[in-house]
Amino acid sequence: MMTPSESTATPTPRRGAPPQRWMGRALRRRGTIIASCVLVAIACVTLLPFYWMLSSSLRTMETMFSLPIQWIPWPPNWNSYVLAWRAQDFTRYFFNSGFVAIAITASNLLLCSLAGYSLTKFRYRGRGVMFLAILSTMMLPLEVTMVPLFLIIKRLDWANSYQGLIVPFLVDGFGVFLMRQYMMSIPKDLIDSARIDGASELRIFWTIVLPLCKPALVALAVFTFREAWDMYIWPLIIITKDSLRTLPLGISLFMSSYGTSWDQLMAIAVLGTLPMILLFFFLQRAFIQGIAATGLKE
Amino acid sequence: MASAAPAAKQPVTSPTARLERPTVRRRAHWSLARKQAAFGVAIILPTLAILAIFRLLPMVQALYLSVTAYDLVHPPRFVGLANFASLLQDPLFLKSARVSLTYVLFSVVPVLPLSLGLAVLFNRSIFIKNVLRSAIFMPVVMPAVVMAVVWTFMYQQDGVINTMLGFLGIDPIPWLRSSATALWAVILIGIWRATPYYMVIFLAGLQAIPADYYDAAKIDGAGLWGTFRYITLPLLKPTMLLVIVMNVIVAMKVFAVPMIMTGGGPADSTRVLPLFIYQTAFEFFDMGRAAAMSVFLFVGVMLFSFVQVRLFTRGDESR
Repeated sequence: MMTPSESTATPTPRRGAPPQRWMGRALRRRGTIIASCVLVAIACVTLLPFYWMLSSSLRTMETMFSLPIQWIPWPPNWNSYVLAWRAQDFTRYFFNSGFVAIAITASNLLLCSLAGYSLTKFRYRGRGVMFLAILSTMMLPLEVTMVPLFLIIKRLDWANSYQGLIVPFLVDGFGVFLMRQYMMSIPKDLIDSARIDGASELRIFWTIVLPLCKPALVALAVFTFREAWDMYIWPLIIITKDSLRTLPLGISLFMSSYGTSWDQLMAIAVLGTLPMILLFFFLQRAFIQGIAATGLKE
Repeated sequence: MASAAPAAKQPVTSPTARLERPTVRRRAHWSLARKQAAFGVAIILPTLAILAIFRLLPMVQALYLSVTAYDLVHPPRFVGLANFASLLQDPLFLKSARVSLTYVLFSVVPVLPLSLGLAVLFNRSIFIKNVLRSAIFMPVVMPAVVMAVVWTFMYQQDGVINTMLGFLGIDPIPWLRSSATALWAVILIGIWRATPYYMVIFLAGLQAIPADYYDAAKIDGAGLWGTFRYITLPLLKPTMLLVIVMNVIVAMKVFAVPMIMTGGGPADSTRVLPLFIYQTAFEFFDMGRAAAMSVFLFVGVMLFSFVQVRLFTRGDESR
C-alpha cells in the first residue's frame, strides 16, 4: 500500500538534517499522490456500473452494443424513460415502496428508541434477559424464518396487504441495540431533574431524550430506510397483486418480461436508484455513520 | 442515585439518609420507583410483542415444520427426521450447500484485505478525499435488484465487460451462460457491493485508534509497515472479527442477485441455500422440506451471530 514511498526512503544513506526533512515532506507528498491515484482508479471501478446504467438508458437499442464503445450517447434518447414508465404501473410501485419504507422507518425510530430508553434508564426485573432476547432476534434473519412467517401472515389474512409488508418489520433487534448504545451516554441526572420539575415520563422522553438522540436517530433512519427500500424476498413471497407490488418486484418483473429492452431496463434502474442517491447526497454523514454504527461494539 | 427495587430491601447506605427519611417517606419513594419501572416495562412491551410474534414464533414453527410433511393443502403430517435424512442424501441440496459455502468463502475473504486497504488509504492525507470516499461508497447505495439488472446487462456476451476485456486481448467470457463462470460472476458483484460497506466500518475502527500510538511509534523509528503490523492490525482485531462475522452472515443470506440474474442456473451452479429454500417452499410447496433446509441455514447463521452478539455485549456491565 504505502511501500513505494518506503522503498525510496531506504536507499538514501546520507542523513543531513535539512535535506532529510525536505525529502520527508516530498515523500509524504508523493505518498499522497500515489494513494490518491490508486483511489481514483478504484473509484472508476465502483462507479462504472452507475455510469453504464445511466449512459445506456440514454442510448437507442441500435447503438446499445455498437463498437467502439459510445461512452457519451449523443443525441440522448430520453424516450426510453417514457416507454418504461408506461410499460408497467411504476407510479404505483414507487408509491408502494415509498409508503412501506417510510412506515417501517418511522415505526422503527419510535419503537427502537422507546426500547433503548427502557433498557438504559429504567430498572426492573428481567431487563438483562429482555435485552439478550431482543439481541438474539438478530440471529433469525428472514431467510431462515420466511416459510413459517408466510404461514402466519396467511393465517392473519395479510397476504397481499400493506400490513403484511409493514408489520413484521415495525421494529428490529439491531435498531434497539443501536439506540441503547447511544442512550447509555445520556446522563441520568438530566432525566431525574426533569422528574423533580414534575414532567411526565412521556414528556421527558419526547422533549429531553429524543432530541438528544438526534444523531443516532438520523443514522438509524437512513439505515432502516435503505433496508426497507431494498427489500425483495418478502414482497416476492406475499405479494401477487399488481397494485401492491413494490419497486424491486416491479423491476424484476419488468426484467423478466422485457428482458432485452436494455434501454428501458436501464432507465427504470436509474429511477429506482435515484431516491437512494438523493438520500445519500443530502444525508451523507448520517448515511456513513449509519453504516459505521453497524460496527459499533462498545 | 435512587436505585429502585434493591433500595427497598437493603438498608439505606448513607447514615444521614436513614436519619432523614422516616419509613413513610421511603415507602412513597419506593412506589414512585415502582411507577417508573412500570413505565419502563410498558414502553418496551410493543417491541417484545412484535419480535416474539414475527421472529421467535416463526423460528419455533420452523423447527416444528421441519419434522413434518406439509404442502399447504393437507394438514402437516409428522414424519420425524425424514426431511433431514432425505436432504442429506439429496445431491441437489448438497450441491446448493456447496454453492453457498463457496459463495460465502470467496465473497468474504477478498473483501477483508480490500476494505481494510481502502480504509488505510482513506485514513491518510488524500486529494479530494470526500469526493473519492463518496464515489467509492456508491455501490452500497444501489438497491440489490437494480444491481442484479445492471450487472446482468454488463455481463452480456457483447456487454461492456467483455468489450473491455477485449481491449486487453481476452476472449469474451460467457459470464452468466456457463456453469463454470456464473457463480464467480455473482461473487464478483458481492465483493463490489460489500467492500465499501466494510471500508466504512474499518475507517471508523481506524479513527478510534489514538494518534498518540502512532506518534510514539514514529519516535521509536517504526516504518510504515511496522506501524501497520504492530499497531494498526492488533488494535483492529475486534473490528476485523466483526467484519468477518457480519460479512459471512450477509453472504449466507444472499438471494436477490442470484434469483434475478440466473434463477439458480445454469446447471444449479448459482442456487444458493436461501434461493433453494424459496423455490422448495414457494414453487414446489414442500414446506416441511424447506423448513428443514432453513434449520440448516439457521445453524450456520447462528454460529456466526453468536460471535457477533458476544462482540456487541462485550464489556457490558449492565446485564
